[in-house]
Amino acid sequence: MAARRALKAVLVDLSGTLHIEDSAIPGAQEALKRLRSAPVAVKFVTNTTKECKRTLFERLKKLQFDIAEDEIFTSLTAARNLLEHKQLRPVLLVEDSALEDFQGIDTSDPNAVVIGLAPEHFNYQTMNSAFRLILDGAPLIAIHKARYYKRKDGLALGPGPFVTGLEYAADTEATVVGKPEKTFFLEALRDLGCSPEEAVMIGDDARDDVGGAQNAGMLGILVRTGKYRQGDEGKINPLPYLTCDGFPQAVEHIIENLL
Amino acid sequence: MMAEWKDCINDLKGVVLDICGVLYDSGEGGGVPIPGSVEAVKRIKASGLKLRFCTNETQATRDKFVAKLQRMGFDISVNEVFSPAPAACKILKDRGLRPHLLVYDEVVPEFADVDKSNPNCVVVGDAADNFSYKNVNEAFRVLIGLEKPVLISLGRGRYYKETDGLKLDVGIYMKALEYACDIEAEVVGKPAKMFFQSALADMGVEPHQAIMIGDDLVNDVGGAQQCGMKALQVRTGKYRPNDEKHPTVKADGYVNNLAEAVDGILKHLGE
Repeated sequence: MAARRALKAVLVDLSGTLHIEDSAIPGAQEALKRLRSAPVAVKFVTNTTKECKRTLFERLKKLQFDIAEDEIFTSLTAARNLLEHKQLRPVLLVEDSALEDFQGIDTSDPNAVVIGLAPEHFNYQTMNSAFRLILDGAPLIAIHKARYYKRKDGLALGPGPFVTGLEYAADTEATVVGKPEKTFFLEALRDLGCSPEEAVMIGDDARDDVGGAQNAGMLGILVRTGKYRQGDEGKINPLPYLTCDGFPQAVEHIIENLL
Repeated sequence: MMAEWKDCINDLKGVVLDICGVLYDSGEGGGVPIPGSVEAVKRIKASGLKLRFCTNETQATRDKFVAKLQRMGFDISVNEVFSPAPAACKILKDRGLRPHLLVYDEVVPEFADVDKSNPNCVVVGDAADNFSYKNVNEAFRVLIGLEKPVLISLGRGRYYKETDGLKLDVGIYMKALEYACDIEAEVVGKPAKMFFQSALADMGVEPHQAIMIGDDLVNDVGGAQQCGMKALQVRTGKYRPNDEKHPTVKADGYVNNLAEAVDGILKHLGE
């Protein structure tokens, strides 16, 4: 096997990997402390369109995780980074609760459209305004393209169908920034100054976490917690670099083999 | 241009016209005729050429729509107009389909004779403001709950022009529902071949003896060409300059408006 460059960064998924709702994965807090004693940067990555960083941070702090708010990188952060990087002024079709993560971004005289999960924005008028901007060349940025999700009152359309509709309308392709897109992982690593080959991702979602990370050039470690189901490792190609019982085991492996 | 006109009118017996963007622009107060179009329609009829109208208009019943055009001065009657809703009704009845309608309120009467109870399919039309999240979601829930989801789309246009700018057309919501349910819609109306063919059959004219004039390069011009007709794109309505550089569809001619198209046709018909 060709020698890889030394590990510089570890990306860790949140829900299902470090915690499940309001319970931490047993031993995860200690494992995180051990990881921090190693010479690697750590970032916490997650797809979300509704929860701002502060909400996620407060939940993890309550669970005694040693974490700083600016170490959290979400699909909303990925969108923000892209906007800043390309100096775009967006129309933000996202839930109010997510707007906090876009504070400071100039939204006057928009020349880009950002779409998240925001049913109240998917009305005909707003879609038309977004369409006209995109037709004139404004980039369309999608937080993710989920088809639908489960609500208390039944299934509900996600942003995916509306993004697809706008892509067809304007004959263009959206830049999707959430997992498992390459953009997500590359953006997460951007300010760490390391390449994907110098990073490893730990997560419970074979396709979105591990598959996506490996597709971006990183190593992927699949943990058997959260949404993991037996056999998930066989669902991606190439297979995960490693499948192990949980976050603590993943950290052990990294410390013993990858530093 | 001379050679192209000769090709277009060789053995010409019938003309098929799109309505929105060719005859008039829709919008506030019902819309505005495009300059020269009223006269142009009269001239076609006076020339002895057969004439039919193929429209994907689904914001009104044919009766109301034609009455509006007549008030604008157009020489047009209901039996000359081919629109998707009546064509869809026939298909629904033939196949025992009971639709959940995601359409503009004013076209619902076209579906009066169709059984809409316990829906086993969704029909989507140009619903405009009726495309609220709630309504699109409702249609989605019907489809996702069916063992064999059937989605019938009245046209598949991307956008059309109204007096106050471009507006999203039915195609967007067709694509949205296709993506959400991972299915493929059946299109009734342009550019479906059957739709053009029914107008040609009604005129008793073969495809190569007919010419289509429209503002939508892919659905009007491309669709007609797929049937063996010649087709011209007008630079009114939803036309955009980029249309003339389209990678796959090339109109047989590009004209500024219907009046210019008719000038060319009648001039060269006389030669």
